[in-house]
Amino acid sequence: MAKDYAKATAVAGRPAAPSALRQFSVLLRKDLTQEFRTKEMLVSMVVYAVLVIIVLGVALSFAKPSQEYLEVCGGLLWVLIVFTSLLGLNKSFSREKENGCLEGLLLAPVDRGAIFLAKAVSNLIFILLVEVLAVPLFWFFFASFATPAETAWLSVVPLLVGSVGIAGVGTLLSTITVNTRGKDVMLALLFVPVVFPLLYACVSATTATLLGGEVFAATWTVSLVLAAGYDVIMILAAWVLYDFVVTA
Amino acid sequence: MTQPPAIEAAKVSKVFGARKALDKVSFSLPQGAFLSVFGPNGAGKTTLLRILATLSKPTSGDVRVGGVALKEQPDAARQEVGLISHAPMLYPDLTAEENLMLYAQLYGVENPRQRVLELLDAVGLKHRRLDVVRTFSRGMTQRVSIARALINNPSVVLLDEPYAGLDPHAVEIFDELLATVREGRTFVMVSHDLDKGFAMASHLLVLARGKVVSFGEKEDTDRAQFEALYRETVGMGVA
Repeated sequence: MAKDYAKATAVAGRPAAPSALRQFSVLLRKDLTQEFRTKEMLVSMVVYAVLVIIVLGVALSFAKPSQEYLEVCGGLLWVLIVFTSLLGLNKSFSREKENGCLEGLLLAPVDRGAIFLAKAVSNLIFILLVEVLAVPLFWFFFASFATPAETAWLSVVPLLVGSVGIAGVGTLLSTITVNTRGKDVMLALLFVPVVFPLLYACVSATTATLLGGEVFAATWTVSLVLAAGYDVIMILAAWVLYDFVVTA
Repeated sequence: MTQPPAIEAAKVSKVFGARKALDKVSFSLPQGAFLSVFGPNGAGKTTLLRILATLSKPTSGDVRVGGVALKEQPDAARQEVGLISHAPMLYPDLTAEENLMLYAQLYGVENPRQRVLELLDAVGLKHRRLDVVRTFSRGMTQRVSIARALINNPSVVLLDEPYAGLDPHAVEIFDELLATVREGRTFVMVSHDLDKGFAMASHLLVLARGKVVSFGEKEDTDRAQFEALYRETVGMGVA
């Protein structure tokens, strides 16, 4: 065994490090393989989302179905998405922390931006998968009591834009908080104030799609531009800051 | 042409807030050497190792690994370094093969699959390659961890208390594996085990309060004097 080992571990010429895109795809595949194998994060997020929907249903059980009811639906939907995403974001970096895996990645000649983007994209995929299950359930429980405007289907757009921002900012913040004491609370404490502008814009855009008419015309475009602008600025900043965050 | 030193540290300091974890640490280690680093808890041993591994940046000073400056060419330096610590750096829900393939691909290893199978065979775990790491014993996990650290054929191997948590049998296997990869490589080991560290070393470094208390070749060192110095520095406490 010793002879084979010496041969297998002989010092050789240095290979060239792969491109950042290749590293990104390798890291993304790693995250997806782990999650689809264990389903740990997805199952907890879906169960949590269902529980939040039930609690919201109980809380609003005495409200009379009306158009005013629709005005709060957009906000409630984002309460569901933010809390469910927080649960997933906390779990996603706990996995990297276990066994010192993040340090293993940082030891390799890996573009730090690729680590961030792979983690952010995998988080986005998981958030979107949970939304695919939770959002129809949410509409069934809440929006079916009143008649939403014809533009309601456009709520998919703020959902997508908001999820991108949540995954990007959340990935950066969960990297920062993973080594702190009380990381679950710490992530929430940092996350909610930082995503406040995005949350506000997405609630506004979602509500506009449900109400339609003048409200839609007045707020839809502005809210979406604000949310998309937030995404671009924050994800670029997170990408640039990531090396500092992981090696400070 | 003379070979550059395997590791060259020049006035390396690391400050965390008001605390100096490392204070102008300088030493030069020739290629093929085995450096054992001793010191009390909080002396800066792990900080030094983390800097050598490019996991942390020094506040001031320069470090070169195989002639490559960590500050200017961190990725080139990373190709030269492997780290084995008490944390295996393996994803518990991936198989041994998937874990090693991940690292092989990140390092850009040629024929990654062949290399992974060779290494798994070498550490005696080829038959368990499709099992997830979570099902492995501590000793088996450490063996996969050795394979991980050597996936890129590093010329410098850093060992951060690698015996922590290993049972005597696993320690024996680890020592055997380590002996077979000594040739052509430089080792830096942080350990609290004076006997083991002293036996394996060609060079000795003692740190206390972030400063170099002693550095030199083992053959120039008297064991009894070194032991006395070690006991004295352990009593010096943290920085």
